[in-house]
Amino acid sequence: MVTATITDLLLHPLGIYVLALGAGFLIPLFDRAHRGSAILVFLLALACMVGIAGFNLFGIINGATAIDIETAGIKPPFSINLRFGLLEGGIVLAVNTAALLGAWHYLPRLKEHASALLLYLILVMGINGMVMTRDLFNLFIFIEITSIATYALIGMERSGSVLAAGFKYIVATSIASAFFLLGTIFIYYQTGTLNIDDIIANQELISGPIGFIATLFVLTGLLIELKPYPANGWGLDVYETASTGIASLISVGVSAGMFFAVYKLLPLAGDFLHSIAFIGGLTFLFSNIIGLKQDNTKRLLGYSSIGQIGLLTLAMALLAQLDSQVDIQSQMYLIVGGLFVNHLFAKAGLFWLAGLVKSSSIRGWSVISKRRGMLLLLGIMMTALVGLPPFPGFWAKWELVMLLASNDMFGWISLILLGSLLEAAYLFRWFSYAQQSVADDEQAEIPVSFWQPLPVAIAVLLLFATSYVMAAVMQVASPELYLPLVAGFALWLIDGVHGRYKNLPMLVAVAIGGYLLTKDLDGINSLFSYLLIGGGLLVSIAALYRKDDRKGFYPLLAVLLLSLATLLRAQSSLEFFFSWELMTLSSYLLITLGRDGAKPALSYLLFSLGSAYLIFAGFAVAYGATGSLLLSSLGNSGESMTMIFSLLAAGFIIKMGGFGFHIWLPDAYAEADDDFTALLSSVVSKAGVFGLVIIAAQLGVRSDIGLDPAYVLGWIGILTATFGALMAVFQEDLKRLLAYSSMGQLGYIVTGVALMSHLGWVSAMYMTVNHFLFKGILLLSAAGIILRTNQRLMYKMGGLIKNMPFTFTFTMIAIIAMSGVPPLTGYGGKWMMFNALMDKGWYWIAALAFFSSAIAFLYMFRLLQTVFLGQRKLEHHELREAPAILLIPQGVMIACIMVVSAYPKLLLDPLSAAIDPWIANTLVWEGTAMVTNFGYWNAPMIMGVVGGVWMVPLILLLLISLTLKIQKVEQFNIVFAAERPRRPEETHYAYNFFAHYDRAIGFLVRPRATAFWNTIVEWSHTTASSLRIFYNGNGQTYALFVVMYFVAMFLLNGGLAL
Amino acid sequence: MIFDSMNEWLSKAGYFSLTLLIVTIYGLFVGALIERIIAKVQGRIGIPYSQPFINILKNFFKRTAISHGIMFYLGPVFRIAGGIGTLAFIPVIYGNEMFSNFSTAGDLFLVIYFMFFGQLGMALGAGESGHPYSAIGIARGLSQMTAYEVPFALAVISIVIQYDTLSLTEIVAAQQGGWQNWTVITNWVATLAAMLALLGMTGYSPFDIFLAPQEIPIGPPTEFHSAYLSLLQTNRALFGATKLILFMNLFFGGATGWGELMIKTFLIYMVAIIVGVAFPRFRVDQAIRFFFKIPTLIGVMSIIYAQMLLTA
Amino acid sequence: MNMLTDIPISLIVLCSGLGLILIGMWGMLTQRNIIRMIIGFSLMDTGIHMVMVSIGYVTGGTAPIINDAVPIADAVNRVVDPVPSALVLTAIVIGLGVTAVMLAFAVRIFKARNTLNIDECTESKW
Repeated sequence: MVTATITDLLLHPLGIYVLALGAGFLIPLFDRAHRGSAILVFLLALACMVGIAGFNLFGIINGATAIDIETAGIKPPFSINLRFGLLEGGIVLAVNTAALLGAWHYLPRLKEHASALLLYLILVMGINGMVMTRDLFNLFIFIEITSIATYALIGMERSGSVLAAGFKYIVATSIASAFFLLGTIFIYYQTGTLNIDDIIANQELISGPIGFIATLFVLTGLLIELKPYPANGWGLDVYETASTGIASLISVGVSAGMFFAVYKLLPLAGDFLHSIAFIGGLTFLFSNIIGLKQDNTKRLLGYSSIGQIGLLTLAMALLAQLDSQVDIQSQMYLIVGGLFVNHLFAKAGLFWLAGLVKSSSIRGWSVISKRRGMLLLLGIMMTALVGLPPFPGFWAKWELVMLLASNDMFGWISLILLGSLLEAAYLFRWFSYAQQSVADDEQAEIPVSFWQPLPVAIAVLLLFATSYVMAAVMQVASPELYLPLVAGFALWLIDGVHGRYKNLPMLVAVAIGGYLLTKDLDGINSLFSYLLIGGGLLVSIAALYRKDDRKGFYPLLAVLLLSLATLLRAQSSLEFFFSWELMTLSSYLLITLGRDGAKPALSYLLFSLGSAYLIFAGFAVAYGATGSLLLSSLGNSGESMTMIFSLLAAGFIIKMGGFGFHIWLPDAYAEADDDFTALLSSVVSKAGVFGLVIIAAQLGVRSDIGLDPAYVLGWIGILTATFGALMAVFQEDLKRLLAYSSMGQLGYIVTGVALMSHLGWVSAMYMTVNHFLFKGILLLSAAGIILRTNQRLMYKMGGLIKNMPFTFTFTMIAIIAMSGVPPLTGYGGKWMMFNALMDKGWYWIAALAFFSSAIAFLYMFRLLQTVFLGQRKLEHHELREAPAILLIPQGVMIACIMVVSAYPKLLLDPLSAAIDPWIANTLVWEGTAMVTNFGYWNAPMIMGVVGGVWMVPLILLLLISLTLKIQKVEQFNIVFAAERPRRPEETHYAYNFFAHYDRAIGFLVRPRATAFWNTIVEWSHTTASSLRIFYNGNGQTYALFVVMYFVAMFLLNGGLAL
Repeated sequence: MIFDSMNEWLSKAGYFSLTLLIVTIYGLFVGALIERIIAKVQGRIGIPYSQPFINILKNFFKRTAISHGIMFYLGPVFRIAGGIGTLAFIPVIYGNEMFSNFSTAGDLFLVIYFMFFGQLGMALGAGESGHPYSAIGIARGLSQMTAYEVPFALAVISIVIQYDTLSLTEIVAAQQGGWQNWTVITNWVATLAAMLALLGMTGYSPFDIFLAPQEIPIGPPTEFHSAYLSLLQTNRALFGATKLILFMNLFFGGATGWGELMIKTFLIYMVAIIVGVAFPRFRVDQAIRFFFKIPTLIGVMSIIYAQMLLTA
Repeated sequence: MNMLTDIPISLIVLCSGLGLILIGMWGMLTQRNIIRMIIGFSLMDTGIHMVMVSIGYVTGGTAPIINDAVPIADAVNRVVDPVPSALVLTAIVIGLGVTAVMLAFAVRIFKARNTLNIDECTESKW
C-alpha cells in the first residue's frame, strides 16, 4: 500500500516539472565537480521525463482516469491546474522521447556549457507545461519559458548569422506573445476567469467588440507561433542557421506545444475556424511550392516543417468544423495524432541527419551515397514525411481525406494532395542527390560513427510501431497486408551475403508468399495473379545473370512482387491503395539502383505519386458517394460514377505511361537495371491494366454512363499507341526504343478495356498476356546484348546474329508476336480488337490502330537490323552468346507464344470465363475457329497453312543447295558501288535509320510533352520565387508581417463590421 | 475421321497448287505484257513473252551461290512463303469451292496482316547480307508502307462498314448481280482511296524509289542472286497478281471464272502502269506526305460515306 | 468638477497603455538600430502591463484585502481585482527576462558583426 503510494508519487506527472527544475539546480552543482556527472544528471532527468509520461499514459490507456494536478490547495477555477489525459499524455510522451533522442544528437554541442544542459531541460519542461496546463495565463508563462530557453539556446552560438536569425525570431515571437497576453487579459476581463475549461463553459460571456478582439488576439498570437505563411520568415531563418539539435526541437517540440495550445482553445474559435483552416491550407501549399526552389538543406527542412504544421492546423480546423458528427473525437486522434507523430519523428530524424552530414546544400549529399545505412534512414524519413505506407502519415492522410470526402470537401482534398505531391517532389529530389555516387577520389569522408545515427534509427522504429498501432485501430493490420514488408525485411537481413544466389531465397519467398496471398482468388484477380506472380518469378530468375552483390535489389524485388499480390487480393480501396503505394515505392527504389537511375527514378516517382493521388481522390469521391470502402461497392456510387471513373482511369493511365504523361517512361525504363526493366515493362506495368480492368468492371459495366468516359479512354489508348510507336521509331538507344514500344503496346490494351464489350476485354486481356511474353523476351534479350557489348546505342552494334543466334531467334519470334503478323499470337489480339472496334462503331480508332501497327513495323525492323544484321563491328567478333540463365526464361516464354499461337483457345477460354461474370459471353466457337459478327479466325489452320507454305520453298531451296555449291563469304564480300568496304562503321546503315521518315512526319513527335512538363516545372519555380519574396531576411519586415497578419485576421473575420 | 480430314487437306492442297500455278504463270505473263506495252509506248520493241520465265529458270539453275548467313538463306523462303500464303487465304474464284483455297482460316484482316510476313522475312534476309543499300531500301519501303497503309485501311474499314463483314467471300457475294453492285460503283470513294494506295503498293513510279529499278542496284534484293533471286522473281509475279486479286475481290465484284479474273486484274494493273509511265518519281518523304494528304482525306470521306450509306 | 476628473483613471491608464504599445511597436518596426528596437519592445511591454493593470482597477476601490473595512459581501464592488495585479508582476518578470536576452543578443551581434544595424543582418533569406 505504502509502496504503491510512493510509486504513484514518484511517477506522478508533476514529477516532470520537479525533475526538470531539480536537475536544473543540480546540474551546475555537479558541473563544479565534473562535467560528465552533470551530463549524466541531465540525461537521467530526460529519461525519467520520458518514463513518467510513458507510465502515466500506459495507465490511462488501461482505463485509469485522466490525472488532474491542482495547485495552491484550492480547486480550479480559482487556482492553476494541469491535466494529463490521453491526448496530453500521448503528446508529452512523443515530445519527451524526441527530446531525449535529440539530446543524444545534440550532446556534443550541449555539453560545452552546463547552462545549455539546463536550458534544454527547461525548454522541454516548458513544452510539457504548454501541453498540460489548463490555465490561460499559465499557458502564457509556459510559452515564455519555452521561448526564453529557445532564445538562449540559439544565442549559445557565436556565428553572426545564427545570432541575427535568433534576434529576428525574438522580435517576431515577442510581438506574437504580446498579443496573446493582451488577448488573455481581455478574456479575463469578460469572463472573470483564466481557467480554460471555465472560459469555454462561459463562452457566451466573450462577446461584442472586446470579445472579438480578445479571441482574435489569443488565437492569432498562438497561430503566429505556428509560423503561418507569409508571417514566418523568422522561423525559416532560425531553421536554416541554428544548430540542428535546436532546430529539430523547435520544429517538432515547440511547434507541438503551440499546436496543442491552439487545440485546447479551439472551442473558443467559433467563426475563426474557417480562417484557421484557410491559413493552414495556404501555409501547407505555399511552403511546399517554395520548397521546390530551395537547395539549402536546413532551410528546406524548415519549409517542410512549416508545411507539415500547416497541414496539421488545416486538419484540426476542418475536423473541428465537423464537430457535430459522431465519433469525430477518435478520428481527431487518428488523423491529427498520426500526422503529428509522423511529423515529429520524421522531421526530427531528418534534422538530425542533416546535422550529421553537414552539407549546407542538398546537392552535396552525395557524400552519403556509399553509406547505405544512412541513405536508408534518409529514404525512410522522407517516405514517412510524404505519407507513403507503411508510416503513420499514410493512415492519417487516408482517414483525413475520406472524412473530408464524406463531407463533400473536395477542394480541400485537392489542396492536400497537391501539397503532398509538391513536398514529395523536393524531398525526393534531395534523395536523388544523395544517391548520386561520386568518383572515389572526390568522396569526402564524413566522420560519422556507428552510434551517431542511432537516434534516427530509433525514430524509424517508433514510426513503424506507431504505424502498426494505427493500422490496428483502423482494422487493416492484417498480416497479409504486411507480408511484403516482412519478406523484404527478412531478405534484407541476409543482404550482406555476397554473390548472386541471394536471388534464390527471394524467389522462394515470393513463390510461397505469392501462393499464400493469391491462392483463394478467382476470376480476373486469379488470372492476373498468374501473370503478375508467376510471370514475375519467371522474369526474376534471369536476375541470376548478374554476378555482383546488388545491395538492396532482392529485398526490394520481393516487396514489389508481393505487393502486387496484395494488390490483387485487396477488398477495400484502402488495402488497394496501400499495396499500390508500396508497389510504387519499391519500384522507384529499384529504378534508383540502375546505372544513372536517380534522376529518371525521381520523375518516375513523381508521376507515379501524381497518379496515386488521382486514384486516392477517386476512392475518396467513391467513399463520399457510397460511404463504403469496399471495391465491390464502387458501382453504387450513382451520379459520381463518371467522376470516379475518370479520376481512377487517369491515375492508372499515368502509371501505364499514357499519352502526354509518358515522359517518365523512357528514362526510367532505360536507366533501370536491364533485368529489372524487363520486369517493369512485362509485369509491373500490368498493375495499371489490372486497376483499369477492375474499375471498368465495377463502374463501367453496371451502368449506362460508361460510354462517354470510355470513348475518351479509347482515344487516349490509341493515341498512346500511335505516338508511342512513332517515338520508338526515332530512338537510337535500344532500351529507349523498347520503352516507347511498351508505351505503345499498352495503349492498345487501354483501348481494348475502354471498349467495354466482352470481345474488347478478351482482346485486352489477351494482349496483356501477349505483351508480357514478347516484352519479357525482348528486354531480357536486350539485357544479354547490353551485357556482352556494354553498349545501348544500336548503331554501335550490328551483325550480332553470328555471335548470339539464340538471342536473335528469340528476339525475332518475339517481334513477330508483337507485330501482329500471322501466325503468331499478336495477330489474334489485333484481330479481336479490330472486330470489337468495328462492332462498337469506333471506326476512327480502328483506322489509327491500323496506322500505329504499321508504324510499329519500322522500329521492330530497325531493332533487328541494326543490332543483329548488317555489318558486325570488328571488336564484336569474339562476343559470346548471352548467359544461359537469361535465355532460359526467354525460351519458356517462346514456348508459351508458340502454344498460344497454335491453340489460342487454351488461353481464351479462361480469359472469357473470368470476364463472363461482368459481361455476357459473346465468343462463338466453330470448332477451332472463333467467329464474330464480322469475320472468323481459325488459328490452328492458319498455323498449318503458314507452316506448309513456308516448308515448300524451304525444301525446294534445300534441294537446290544439294546440287549448288553455296559458299560462305567473308564479312565485306558485297557488291558495294564497285568497292570493297574496309570498316563496318562505314557500311552499317544504322544511325538515324528513318531520317526520311523524320523529314516527312517527324514534326509530330517533337518533344512537346517534355516541353509542356518543363514549362510546368518552370512555372512552379517562378511561382515559388514570387511567393517567397516576403522572406527578404530583414527582421523588421518579418515583424511587419506578423503585425499585418493580425490585421489580416481581423479583416478576414469581419472586424470592420463591428 | 483422321483420314477424312487428311484427304480433305490433301485435296485442298492439290487444288491450291493448281491455283498457285495459274496465278504465278499469269503474273509472269502479265509482267511481260506490261513491259511490252511500256516499250511500245516508248517506241521500243520490248521483251519476248518468255523472258520472265527464262530469267527465273536461268537464275534457278546457276551453278554457284554465296551465302552471308542463315537468315540470308531463309530470306527468300520467307518472302515467297508470304506470297503463297497470302494467295492461300484469298478465295480466288467466286462460287467455286475448288479455288476458294484456305480462305476458311481467316478473313480479310488475316490477308492484310499476312502480307507483312514475307516483307519482314525478306527484310531480315537482306539485312544479313550487310549491304547498306539493302537496309536503305528496306527503311524506305517500310516508311512508304506505313503511309499508303493509311488510305488503304480507311478504305477497308469503309467497305467493312458497308458490307458488315470481314469475310472476303461474303464481300464478293454482296457485289454479285451486275456491275452496278460493284464496290467501285456503290462505294466509289473507298475505291478511289484504295486505288491511290495501290499505286504505292505496286511499287511503280512515282513510288518506286525504295527499289530504284533503273539505277544502280539498290533495294532489298541487292545481294540476292542465283536461286535466291529466282525465288524472289517468282514471288514478285505471284505476289503482284495476288494483290490485284485482292483488289478485284474488294472493289470490282470478284470473278466467277479465270477469264474474268485475268481481264479485271489486268485492267486494275493498268491503272498503276499508266500513272507510272506518266509521272516522275517521288522522294520517300514526299511520297509519305502525299499519302497523308489527299488519299487519306479521301479515305476519311469514304468512312463517312459508308456510314451515310448505312443510314440511308 | 472639471472634464478630466470625470474620466476614470483606469481609462486613462488603458489608453496610455495602448498608446505605449503602438509607440513601442512603431519603434520595433521602424528603428534600424537593434538597441532602439529593444527599447521599442520595452515600451510595448510596459504598455501591455498598463493595460493589464487598468483592466482590474475599480474606481475608488481599495486594496484587495478582506478585513473589517471590506466585508465579503461587498468585496466585489469595492476592491480592486487582485488577479491582474498578480499577473502583471509575473508579466514584468518575463518581460525583463526577454529584454535581457535581447540585450545579450545585441551584445553578441555587435561582437560578431561589428554593427547594430538590423538591415545588415539579412544573409539568410528566401
